[in-house]
Amino acid sequence: MSGNPYQDDRGNKDRSIANPRGSGTAEGARRKGKAVAAPGGPFLIGDSMTGGYGKGPNILHDCTIAVDQGEIAVIVGPNGAGKSTAMKAVFGMLDVRQGHVRLDGEDITTLSPQDRVSKGMGFVPQTSNIFTSMTVQENLEMGAFIRTDDFSDTMAQVYDLFPILKDKRNQPAGELSGGQRQQVAVGRALMTRPKVLMLDEPTAGVSPIVMDELFDRIIEVARTGIPILMVEQNARQALEIADKGYVLVQGRNAFSGTGKDLLADPEVRKSFLGG
Amino acid sequence: MNETVKNTLLFAVVGGLILLTGFMQSWNAALLILNMGLISAIMALGVNLQWGFAGLFNIGVMGFVALGGLAAVLVSMPPTSEAWAAGGTGIILGLLLGAATVAAAVILHKRMRPGAVRVMVLLAVVVIGFFVYRAVLDPSVAAIEKVDPATTGYLGGLGLPVVLAWPIGGLLAAGAAWLIGKTALGLRSDYLAIATLGIAEIIIAVLKNEDWLSRGVKNVVGIPRPLPYEIDLQNDPAFVERAAGLGMDPVMASTLYVKLGYAVLFLIVLVVLMWMAQKALHSPWGRMMRAIRDNEVAAEAMGKDVTRRHLQVFVLGSAICGIAGAMMTTLDGQLTPGSYQPLRFTFLVWVMVIVGGSGNNFGSVLGAMLIWFLWVQVEPMGVFLLELVTSGMSDGAFKSHLLESAAHMRLFTMGLVLILVLRFSPRGLIPEK
Amino acid sequence: MDFLNAIVALTNYVVIPAMSYGSQLALGALGVTLVYGILRFSNFAHGDTMAFGAMVTILVTWLMQSVGINLGPLPTALLALPFGILGCVALVLVTDRLVYRFYREQKAKPVILVIVSMGVMFIMNGLVRFIIGPDDQRFSDGARFIISARDFKSMTGLNEGLAIKTSQGLTVVTAVVVVAVLFWFLNRTRTGKSMRAYSDNEDLALLSGINPERVVVYTWLIVAALATVAGVLYGLDKSFKPFTYFQLLLPIFASAIVGGLGSPLGAIAGGFIIAFSEVTITYAWKKVAVYLLPERFEPDGLVQLLSTDYKLAVSFVILLIVLLFRPTGIFRGKAL
Repeated sequence: MSGNPYQDDRGNKDRSIANPRGSGTAEGARRKGKAVAAPGGPFLIGDSMTGGYGKGPNILHDCTIAVDQGEIAVIVGPNGAGKSTAMKAVFGMLDVRQGHVRLDGEDITTLSPQDRVSKGMGFVPQTSNIFTSMTVQENLEMGAFIRTDDFSDTMAQVYDLFPILKDKRNQPAGELSGGQRQQVAVGRALMTRPKVLMLDEPTAGVSPIVMDELFDRIIEVARTGIPILMVEQNARQALEIADKGYVLVQGRNAFSGTGKDLLADPEVRKSFLGG
Repeated sequence: MNETVKNTLLFAVVGGLILLTGFMQSWNAALLILNMGLISAIMALGVNLQWGFAGLFNIGVMGFVALGGLAAVLVSMPPTSEAWAAGGTGIILGLLLGAATVAAAVILHKRMRPGAVRVMVLLAVVVIGFFVYRAVLDPSVAAIEKVDPATTGYLGGLGLPVVLAWPIGGLLAAGAAWLIGKTALGLRSDYLAIATLGIAEIIIAVLKNEDWLSRGVKNVVGIPRPLPYEIDLQNDPAFVERAAGLGMDPVMASTLYVKLGYAVLFLIVLVVLMWMAQKALHSPWGRMMRAIRDNEVAAEAMGKDVTRRHLQVFVLGSAICGIAGAMMTTLDGQLTPGSYQPLRFTFLVWVMVIVGGSGNNFGSVLGAMLIWFLWVQVEPMGVFLLELVTSGMSDGAFKSHLLESAAHMRLFTMGLVLILVLRFSPRGLIPEK
Repeated sequence: MDFLNAIVALTNYVVIPAMSYGSQLALGALGVTLVYGILRFSNFAHGDTMAFGAMVTILVTWLMQSVGINLGPLPTALLALPFGILGCVALVLVTDRLVYRFYREQKAKPVILVIVSMGVMFIMNGLVRFIIGPDDQRFSDGARFIISARDFKSMTGLNEGLAIKTSQGLTVVTAVVVVAVLFWFLNRTRTGKSMRAYSDNEDLALLSGINPERVVVYTWLIVAALATVAGVLYGLDKSFKPFTYFQLLLPIFASAIVGGLGSPLGAIAGGFIIAFSEVTITYAWKKVAVYLLPERFEPDGLVQLLSTDYKLAVSFVILLIVLLFRPTGIFRGKAL
């Protein structure tokens, strides 16, 4: 028995009555807050965030991450450090109990995730980041869901960035290889023409060659002027391309600085980069 | 207020409601509610075992209850010797052939390599088997059904005491549950709910159509009783005298005596089953069952045979429903296959379990008594309410329509109760500890 | 000639009834599958939703008939259908707002919603019986046949007649139109695609800016419309009785599961598979056999494999067989 009587797992295995497939876990979809002007500061910042999932304990403690125009910011840290949680907090998928999230001169702490999308945030989750039953093209169209203008230019740009997707555009995305799926995922997020792009471990589970290529593409995206906030398991490689780096430990900021500084910091090297 | 006090109070309230019925309407009505309430409590115990302990979604309660009812007929009715002479052997042979066909198909399915050949062979076995079975069975069925169709026209039973039918009804239901569970729980994904829904309909269809077995929609009436008949009591001077001693009229006294007798019998069964269910709940077996329910993956990783345990509990729970079914048919004194409806026999039992508190045996009993009380009493209450509402209206089609429809308030009320409980007290009136 | 007669008899007694029954099941199963795919539970109240929509349509039909509005050869119910759909939509949306939404906010597990839908089923069932009563209601009017058996015989000179009831023709045509529109909607429109996206991956749909509540509302709209259409067609073809609609749950669920729960294409295929097997297995084949077999082999009995009361058993056995060989149904029950 769990704490919430509605979330007991009893009887949920029966496929003839219950469909667990695709159920959401994100919180905050029903949040009805408004953005408040809050000029100054970095382009996107999760400022001293404290919070956790549901009614559970705090996972983040006074954690701050930020990214500025034209930058790549990378969050690294050991497993269970709260890296993904920090990203989700910035995106409003869990309750930030203390602290604020600000984007482009506005306080968006009380906005729902879908409202943040219309404010110009793009997010690529680590897993389940594509619509597997839909074609590549439909995935991109769904990425552009909030746009009412003609988005064929953007789609052409995405196809230019990831040419393989153009060939496979009528295939169900679930049939693609791991690296191609990640391309679809990033492409989907780019379709809104986001003002900032957030990537949660974009290279998880892909081969080293594909990983290098993905990093190249990400740099390419950053060069078009979109600031990128990224969580990475491959700390060394990520910090090499990062303008700014955050090392999280147990939901707290342990180190922060430019990518180069962190790579050079002996303590960071010893603890997180394997010497 | 501590938990025991609260629970005792809840039971006292339900008891009070039944007593109130006795004072306000009649003691016969109160005892009727009590008797069916006790039977419902047993059904609810069965469903609670499956849903509350193990998280198995059985929506075929009706089928198992009906099988219990069939057991009452097969055990207690006198055999129709003419019918046995006319087609008894044919029926037995036919059924054996049918079983052999199914067994052959299952064995072939297991032994042969998958492929087109297997499919063809299986099809051939099943089709030929089916026609042979029908060829043997049909003439016997026709012969049996010709034997005095107005009163018998079926094989009859064994002529044994009807109380024996209770455990046998349980066994019959257990057998059916084993077959369903073996098939539905063995599938790669779990499809128990739809399987039970289907099998219940099939059982009812069999009871309605196989006249040689259960007289179908002609109903079996006059099932022997475990208690004396009212008329015999009234003709018994000793009884009349005792009734007079209590200041009661003998007709009234005899009906109450019989109903009280049933109540005692049912209460004994309920207490025994309750004791067993409580023992099971607190045994290592019960703890394991709940562990599986709450996290099947972890239990499986710990080497528990989840499917086997589920099959066990499914069979046990269904057997309890079968016992209740046999008891109900005994109380009614007749088997009327047409009266089995899923809303009444499956979903109402579910309402009882959810309202009482899934996973808590006492909760199920309380829920059963309370919901059964409502089921019976909402109708007169609805009539009363609508009479009140319409008292100001002028007579007309609308008013008479409203008054006529009062009977349908009970379904509405059951739904409302279920939804309100789920919303405001999702673990039921007496939650699982 | 005998061969032609056999084919006509087969069409008349098996193919046409199964086509129309299959269309009704398919429409019902589509509703179940949509709820399963998007709201993620099996809606036990679906049969009663169908009954409610049909009931509103019947009441409006009666009203129209009493003031003399009709559609000539077509049943008046067709004119009343939009009102029935509106009534059903209203009921379903109110139910969602008052009942289901709370559980979505709680992120309740699907099985809780299943039990909730049982409660809704009781309430809707009571409501329908309260308003229109538990008895049989007839509301079909207009021409009874497109082709009557006698016309067919005189037209072709065959011994066997072929009758197509208006309701049967109407059922199949309506079902084809409704299904075509639904598929166009799901695969071609932005809203339809957003529903598929939500069904596939709720969280990612949220990240794409798709409003979950709006998807849910659209789903109920479509489900109510499908249920009403299915209910009215079934009522026109047979008759309207609240209890029968409740009984339809099993074949409808069987259709949806056989096809693969969550797959609209599967729901349609499942509906026809169930309908055809029910009708073929419970049909008395004597009529056909008489024409095909030489005289001395002519069967004595009706050559009926099972009595019609066992048709539910047939749906169930088909369901079991499919699940044994394809545990996820024919169309692999993926997202919409």
